[in-house]
Amino acid sequence: MIDIWTIVRFLHVLGAIIWVGGQLTITVVVLPPVRRLLGLAERTEVLRTVGKRFALITAALFLPTQITTGVLLAWRNGVTWAALAEPGYGRVLAAKLILFTLVMAAATVHGIAQAKHRPAAARAASITALVGSLGVILLATGLVER
Amino acid sequence: MDETPRTDLAPPTAARPRGPLFVWANAVVLGWLAVAVVLSAAHQVLGLPGWVALHALLLGAVTNAILIWSEHFVVTLCRAPAPLARRVAAGLTALNLFVVTVLAGVTTNVSVMTGAGAAGICVIAAVHTVFLVRTYRKALQRRFGHLICFYASASVALLAGAVTGAALGTGAATPIWYSRLWGAHVHLTLLGWVGFAVLGTLFTLWPTTLGIRIADGTASLARRALPVLAVGLVLTVGGILAASRWLTLAGLVCYAAGVGVAMIPLVRALGTRRPRGPAAWMLAAAIGWLGVAVLIEGVRLLLAGSIDALPDVVGAVVPVFVLGFTVQVLVGALTQLLPVVLGRGPAEHKSLSASLARGWQVRILLTNLAVPLVAGDWPRPLPQIGWAFGALGVGTFAVLALRAAIPVALRGAATTVQAPDRPSPSSGTTTGIAAGLAVVVLAVALAATGTAEAPSTPVSGAAHTVEVTMSAMRLRPSTVDIPPGTRLVLRVTNQDSMPHDLRADSGQRTPRLRQGETALLDLGEIQGDHQAWCDVAGHRAAGMTMTIRTSPAAADTGRDHRAGHDPGTGAGLDLGATPSPGWTPHDARLAPPAGTLHRVELHVTEQDVEVAPGVRERRWTFGRTAPGPALHGRVGDRFEITLVNDATMGHGIDFHAGALAPDQPMRTIGPGERLVYRFTAHRAGAWLYHCSTMPMSQHIANGMYGAVVIDPPGLPAVDHEYLLVSSQLYLGGPDSDQHVAKIHTGRPDGWVFNGMAAQYDHAPLTARSGRRVRIWLVNAGPGDATAFHVVGAQFDTLYKEGTWLLRPGDPGGAQVLDLAPAQGGFVELSFPEPGHYPFVDHDMRHAENGAHGRFTVTEPPQ
Ligand SMILES: [Cu+2]
Repeated sequence: MIDIWTIVRFLHVLGAIIWVGGQLTITVVVLPPVRRLLGLAERTEVLRTVGKRFALITAALFLPTQITTGVLLAWRNGVTWAALAEPGYGRVLAAKLILFTLVMAAATVHGIAQAKHRPAAARAASITALVGSLGVILLATGLVER
Repeated sequence: MDETPRTDLAPPTAARPRGPLFVWANAVVLGWLAVAVVLSAAHQVLGLPGWVALHALLLGAVTNAILIWSEHFVVTLCRAPAPLARRVAAGLTALNLFVVTVLAGVTTNVSVMTGAGAAGICVIAAVHTVFLVRTYRKALQRRFGHLICFYASASVALLAGAVTGAALGTGAATPIWYSRLWGAHVHLTLLGWVGFAVLGTLFTLWPTTLGIRIADGTASLARRALPVLAVGLVLTVGGILAASRWLTLAGLVCYAAGVGVAMIPLVRALGTRRPRGPAAWMLAAAIGWLGVAVLIEGVRLLLAGSIDALPDVVGAVVPVFVLGFTVQVLVGALTQLLPVVLGRGPAEHKSLSASLARGWQVRILLTNLAVPLVAGDWPRPLPQIGWAFGALGVGTFAVLALRAAIPVALRGAATTVQAPDRPSPSSGTTTGIAAGLAVVVLAVALAATGTAEAPSTPVSGAAHTVEVTMSAMRLRPSTVDIPPGTRLVLRVTNQDSMPHDLRADSGQRTPRLRQGETALLDLGEIQGDHQAWCDVAGHRAAGMTMTIRTSPAAADTGRDHRAGHDPGTGAGLDLGATPSPGWTPHDARLAPPAGTLHRVELHVTEQDVEVAPGVRERRWTFGRTAPGPALHGRVGDRFEITLVNDATMGHGIDFHAGALAPDQPMRTIGPGERLVYRFTAHRAGAWLYHCSTMPMSQHIANGMYGAVVIDPPGLPAVDHEYLLVSSQLYLGGPDSDQHVAKIHTGRPDGWVFNGMAAQYDHAPLTARSGRRVRIWLVNAGPGDATAFHVVGAQFDTLYKEGTWLLRPGDPGGAQVLDLAPAQGGFVELSFPEPGHYPFVDHDMRHAENGAHGRFTVTEPPQ
């Protein structure tokens, strides 16, 4: 049945798709040819531009949407602070939130390292964020099943 | 004896020691290792048994590694002819197919698959043994002959381990043999297959990791160690199979002695050079854990005092064997050996070694911290943290090694080799993957703690609880019938010495239960049929399954359980609850006898009856009530009862008030049949009648009883005459296995007068003070005695089983009429003054659980 909650859930899932899908696309599709085809200067320029744009979208659209829709969905599902500690749905959700926070922290570290011209650290942080995001999706899938 | 064997392992040639097949084989080992790490972290989320992760590691990674490396060492060190690459490839492919078959077979519970896979592994083990024995004959370099002997012994242990494993996995093992075979399987594979292969390899590998020559005398010590180890293993396994604790202990001591002998050259080597670098430290730690595991097992077995403790003891040391010893040895050996396989020339070796050694101190710390955490009996989060540490330590190595091996396997070049001054464009990737996996593993571990802990949370709301016991590889009951939509909770108790768990097809599971442990499994609202089984490998195949069926037939009863009482837990009846709307008490007044010929048609029906306030249960009844109608007559009266079976199964009837040959009148009649039962009441008394169909305990407990009252001649009339039939109350569907089990073990949910707990508290019997009251009593059982007492009053008349024990005018008084099952009698009394007089079964457990009522006594009308 399509109601307002379908829209909220749709926005939540759409946000996740764009963020994780964007990370995956950049890492797996965009970066390898960029590395191979472009010179060092152009490469850095392209990566910096892509990174800034992604960071802007994340901060301006993705985070507000995910947090708003996530809180709404949790409220709708009757999740309380106490429920987060309870085994099952609550604890999976709590683990997902913690993991999501860590992913966002890694993404921030990526931005800082990129700005400070430390490519190895930046790459480590971005891959951490990507693997962590996949973990978030895994946990989210576990939530839906119940 | 002067040539250094170091070059034997790592020939300083530009070419790799073995071809691309060998690289691929090692990549497969690493692949299994990665799969095992992922499964150990995620098997709960994926709904797979932990067995799969363990066997992905041991059967996948470790067995592949031992096979390829033992073949490599034998060929290289003993200068033996190499087998054809094609044959090796075919053998390894077959092995991995069989491993996948076994894993899939156990996961999907298809015994044929498990059996076929295990048989394949047996064949491979046999072929490998034959290959080793033949190679021994052809070997040119006899100096390393002991190596082949170790590998051949290991291979024989694998064969035996696979046979025992097949018996376990296919469910072919009988309950008694299961735990013995399991113990044998664990020791054959871990101490035999892995232990022998590792110890044999170490004589060469350990000096190599230290970077020194193999000391003289190593080979002779090795030759001395092997028989001790082999005898130790045979004694251990024999002791376990024969259920002999002392034999098992002797075997473990012998095996430990063998490890000690094998350690002598290794410890001596330490005098030459201290271990540096990851490989040496990991191998040393691994051997340390092997010793610790054997020691712990021996000591715990000694202290346990009985071989029955074996499953528990072995269960506790398996994590030490697996994580501390096996995994660490594998990682350590691969750290040393992989660069040899993957690199061309010293430069590549060095760079590969460096990349495989990344963060090794942290990894060793994590792994060895993990061992006591997972093996100890710690409270909840600690074992999970331990598993996460182990997964991190090993998973990081798997990622590092795969990143080195895959490019070589695909392109024949190691990509990690580059000038140290120029940062690689991909540097940081490994760190990123490791860090990402680490946080994901921790988060998933945190999330997964929930499912395992869920059973310990209290069950809120109304639920139907069923007692489930595990013993002798069976779940009892094997079938649970409930109406659709019932919230079902299973209270699972393990009575076996083997650990068990219970898993439903909907994903809920109990934690692994040891002997005597109990867990609640809340399955939620059940719609449609479900299966549940013990998830320990092979137990499902051996028959530890149960079916949860929903049927509308069980609808009324089930709904009533949920509304009222939780029958399984024996939590006590809510005697103060309000009876259901429209409830009428069973009339306890005994009508005076009418006529001398009593013709009654008794219909056997299945009926919903109020058995406790607000609790309605399906009952099998005579004449739609439990107890059935009271028959009241005098000595010499003729009774002609037509029994009509309107129920769905066979029933019969037995009147104690008549004396006749039971053959015909007491026979069981099928649904729809009729039977005429004629008897003359020659003797006075309060007689029981009940269903005569086996098991009578069940038929009586389900309501098929009633009373025939035959007045003794000259019995004076009284002002109030009542009849109370006492019985035990068993809740749960009338023919569920758990209900029958409760009846057989004599664990009633309550005790009642006239079929309902505390009904005369809700509808008190009445009397007038100073007037005579006669109370007839019949104890229907099925099993407990009763002791009838009226609080605040004394009996002046006591008639029990055909005789007066007390008559009015006797100087004494009576306080209790006691009745064994099927006995009857009456008491008489007059209440001294108006008031409320409780009556009880003075076995207070009975009174407090329903065998309780009340007289409301008022002034006689003026
Ligand atoms: Cu019957």
